[in-house]
Amino acid sequence: MQRFLIWTLFCMLGTTGLWAQQTEVVLSASSSAKLVLGMTAPKLLAAPKAAPLDEASVATEFTAVLKHDLDESGVFAMLQERLPADSAPAKAWKEAGAQWLLSTKLTKSASGDLRLEATALDTAAEKGAFSKTFDANEIVPLRYLAHTLADEMVKQLTGEKGVASSRIVFVRQLSPGVKEVFQVDRDGAGLVQLTRHGSLTLSPSVAADGRLVYVTYKGGAPEIWGQRKQNGPDEKFYPTTGAGGMVTSPVWSPDGKRLAFVQGDRRGNTDIMILDLGSGRARRLTDGTCINTEPSWNPNGTQIAFTSDREGAPQVFLMQDDGSNLRRLTGEGLYNASPSWSPNGAMVAYVSRFEGKFDLFVYKLGEGKAYQITTGVSTSESPAWSPDERRLVFTSNRFGTSQLFTTDLSGRQIVRLAEFAGCQSPRWIRGR
Amino acid sequence: MRYGNYLVPAAIVLTLGSLACTPPKTAEQIKAETQAAFNEGSQAFKDGKALASNPYLNDKENPHKAKGWTDGWNAAAADKAAADKAAADKVAADKAAADKAALDAKLAAEEAARKAAEAEKAAAFRKAAAAALVTVHFDYDKAEIKEKDRTILQGVADFMKAFPAAKVEIEGHCDERGTNEYNLALGNKRAAAAMAYLKTLGVDEARFTTISYGKEKPLCTEAKEACWSQNRRGEFKLK
Repeated sequence: MQRFLIWTLFCMLGTTGLWAQQTEVVLSASSSAKLVLGMTAPKLLAAPKAAPLDEASVATEFTAVLKHDLDESGVFAMLQERLPADSAPAKAWKEAGAQWLLSTKLTKSASGDLRLEATALDTAAEKGAFSKTFDANEIVPLRYLAHTLADEMVKQLTGEKGVASSRIVFVRQLSPGVKEVFQVDRDGAGLVQLTRHGSLTLSPSVAADGRLVYVTYKGGAPEIWGQRKQNGPDEKFYPTTGAGGMVTSPVWSPDGKRLAFVQGDRRGNTDIMILDLGSGRARRLTDGTCINTEPSWNPNGTQIAFTSDREGAPQVFLMQDDGSNLRRLTGEGLYNASPSWSPNGAMVAYVSRFEGKFDLFVYKLGEGKAYQITTGVSTSESPAWSPDERRLVFTSNRFGTSQLFTTDLSGRQIVRLAEFAGCQSPRWIRGR
Repeated sequence: MRYGNYLVPAAIVLTLGSLACTPPKTAEQIKAETQAAFNEGSQAFKDGKALASNPYLNDKENPHKAKGWTDGWNAAAADKAAADKAAADKVAADKAAADKAALDAKLAAEEAARKAAEAEKAAAFRKAAAAALVTVHFDYDKAEIKEKDRTILQGVADFMKAFPAAKVEIEGHCDERGTNEYNLALGNKRAAAAMAYLKTLGVDEARFTTISYGKEKPLCTEAKEACWSQNRRGEFKLK
């Protein structure tokens, strides 16, 4: 970012043109598999009586954000060096390596609303590859416009919307014994605290419609709290009356009508339960003779992956949502846990312990094989899928304290999402 | 007729003389006389004379004196009665106050003794609790009670038996290695294992609650075994 600003400053001083800045200098890693994208500076227009857009804020809040989003999309690589002038013909961009050339225009209306017009030119065919107009109310931050554009460009290329406008919900320690649920944009900006219980608050899960659920120790013993209605207040879900012993790990079913959760008894067993929010009735799926925890739904809500020590050490198992058809998923290793079923249902991410450290693995159900994602001297935990299934968010202590990271499925592009300390249990959700 | 000449002047002299000798008393005089008689009566009472000794009883000319004297006597008698009563009341009140003070002192002494006994008992309870409710530890990913922790649990059981009203929460904790959720389950298993062991020592399990904090409340946050072994623990807390 600093380099970007310096470049911007340098170019603005060095040229008479308003928008001659270019950013950064290296091509993204493994760009060969990606579409190389050139981008000219946004053209800024304003209605006769409108206050003009601030160039510096457009540069930091729009251009830089857009480039970061596209670079992290996994399908685009930003062209970063030997850039032709903005006014150069498509041919020049093609020779510089750009397969697409993106041009944007931001227009501010007299009322303050924004219009973003984006077009991408296929430099080889010299024809339009993408064209879209976005209208935004003046209160929408520029960076969200950039996220929206990036997501639409990814959709144009892959058929599925990108995840630049997605968010991460996670738990962060505020002081010893006090943890709360937070939300942050996928690019690490826009941190928002979602709970204020002043106690241990753990295991968040977000329904497709945005409703939050979690466990809080605010009343002493753990309780499941969440939103019954969209944007509604947080209320106690379970135990419905009295004390329910140990409860952990509530997870919304894909249709948002049921909660899988975990209840421990006084014998030391923990079981996977399903709470029907409509009737308020809870049903036990496992048989109460060992530890069963960490439920994760498959995308159509018919199966649950979970961790169990029924064969001695923790391993990942799968079962139907009525407890039948139980089978062990993980083979090797003495400690496999924290399963996370992928959004399309074909993969299960989990963690496995090796030499005292945990690493991320992905089990491909079709192949019946597990692939190791992270390797290293640090521990990686709590994998959760991006909505587009291209990346995993996880926590790692590779820089000391437990922080949020994302990785692609090759494990080669590990990116620190933000520098917040004391993070755990990230979930990756679509922006709304 | 010889004396006729003197009759008229004589009559005049007699009439005037009688008028001069017995002038009618004014209201002032009567008031003064009444007051004098009142004072005499009052004094007479103080001197111990009877009401019947009123010297004006036969003075038909001055009934106000008799009345004044009687009133004086009665007033003195009433004053004395009131004074006597006040004195008696004061004695009674003083006695009652003294009695109450004595009772209060007795009660306060009893209360203080009771409080002291309670404080002593509470102190003994706290001391016994502090001595008995010692943290036990577990091996990695295990919930079995260690051989060396059995004496600790025996101490917890003895404490529970010595103080039958005591209630204890057993907290299960884990080290940082392992997932948050699995460690919450493991902490529950550890708390349950400690409770089950205490049950075998004869303590009613209804006197225990269990709670798991998993790896969420470590005592020590360094990534080394010396720290982890402190965190894998079962704590006993008075409820």
